Amino acid sequence: MSLLQKLDAARDFQDQLGQLGVNAIGATIDVTGSATEGKIEGKRVILAGTNNYLGLTFDPACIEAAAQAVRTHGTGTTGSRLANGTYAGHAALERELSVFLGTRSAIAFTTGYVANVGAISTLAGPGDVIMLDADSHASIYEGAKLSGAEIYRFRHNDPADLDKRLRRLGDRCARTLVIVESLYSMLGDVAPLDQFCEVVKRHGAFLLLDDAHSFGIMGETGRGLAEALGIEDEIDFVTGTFSKSLGSVGGFFASRKHDVAPLRSQIRAYMFTASSTPSVIASTRAALKRVAQGQALRSQLWRNCQRVHEGLTSLGFKLGAAPSPVIASLMDSPQQAAAAWQVLLDAGVYVNLVVPPGAPKNLSLLRCSLSAAHTDEQVEQIIEGYAAVAQRLFDQPRAAATAYG
Amino acid sequence: MISYDECVSEIQTLLAQSHAGGSIVPPESDLIDELGLASLDVMELIEALEDRFDVAFPINELGDVRTIADLAKRIQTLT
Repeated sequence: MSLLQKLDAARDFQDQLGQLGVNAIGATIDVTGSATEGKIEGKRVILAGTNNYLGLTFDPACIEAAAQAVRTHGTGTTGSRLANGTYAGHAALERELSVFLGTRSAIAFTTGYVANVGAISTLAGPGDVIMLDADSHASIYEGAKLSGAEIYRFRHNDPADLDKRLRRLGDRCARTLVIVESLYSMLGDVAPLDQFCEVVKRHGAFLLLDDAHSFGIMGETGRGLAEALGIEDEIDFVTGTFSKSLGSVGGFFASRKHDVAPLRSQIRAYMFTASSTPSVIASTRAALKRVAQGQALRSQLWRNCQRVHEGLTSLGFKLGAAPSPVIASLMDSPQQAAAAWQVLLDAGVYVNLVVPPGAPKNLSLLRCSLSAAHTDEQVEQIIEGYAAVAQRLFDQPRAAATAYG
Repeated sequence: MISYDECVSEIQTLLAQSHAGGSIVPPESDLIDELGLASLDVMELIEALEDRFDVAFPINELGDVRTIADLAKRIQTLT
């Protein structure tokens, strides 16, 4: 068997996706003029699939901070954090994150993916155990694999199943890292985090929360699901990203219970990759201030979520979860999902097309993500786009129902 | 420890329900190449077996499992 057979297999997979008749691997956004509008295939569209929850990519203060930083510090650091890549801005961002989150320390990474891979593969090692939610993000699986620990899965968002699997581990729970996410990116469902905390504590294991998707949008001050539930002190470790609510790129690893700072010299994904560019750090710091004072943005975001969820439910779409900034419509097949995606694009609405194996349970989805920056008019246009899908693809009105009630 | 035969039988029953259209497939069947399971399907099969026999099967070992017989032997050692 030749090494290059893998290329053939990858090409076959691309061909299969090509047969869906759309560019399923990801449309190219030619121009973005704002947080909510862009041009795809020459057509102006509303961006409703960009995880830009607070719309901060075009916040004037964030843009100005980035522009000033690039003029002052240049376009890149040309080095890793442990070599020449730590600027005052990196250290300041980590201090500000620690203060905002109330953590003992925080480490900034170049991407959220790298934060998960680095933190998880360093916290756990050979002889340890990682217990992860079955629907975990690829970066969590990769970090777990790289750690050399034994890896077990528990059923998605199921504290009773976690309880059962931790019981089977017995004394090894003291060497076990349990990993859950707050808001799951494909279906938009929220973890029963308080129940997970109780189970993990009872078994004497440790809990790492990947807060990529609830950071900035949940909790009174935007510190995420754990703040909303009043259980931040129960979480051992938290990772997150700058590329959703904060509108830039990067990630972090922090803890209220343990000082993670000494791990800097152990985390290979931190030591051996280039640090974030000064402009990215500057806009992230400006965005963090906006998040902390972002109650109005969060209120607007959740109003938009409620409206779209209600609109799509009344059109007969089966939705993945209760209202959240990720609203996934469950389609019957990859072909139907691709056709629906194209109808939406033609109607001037860009969402994410997700086909197997991209989503849990081999589902085919239209994944819409909403922003506080979407205007009422844009929200209505998004719903109208889905109305066009319903008209074109559903032979008869579907019974209004959601998968999770 | 449960018997090898009991373990094979349980896997065959689970596969008959999910992938083999109700028929019992031989223990030498390759889960992916012959029965067409995706890696996610294999993980779900293992979760069901973990619950059936109250054992913990690390997913790191998935790569060592090709056939029903491989899986049965490994599950057997965990009981």
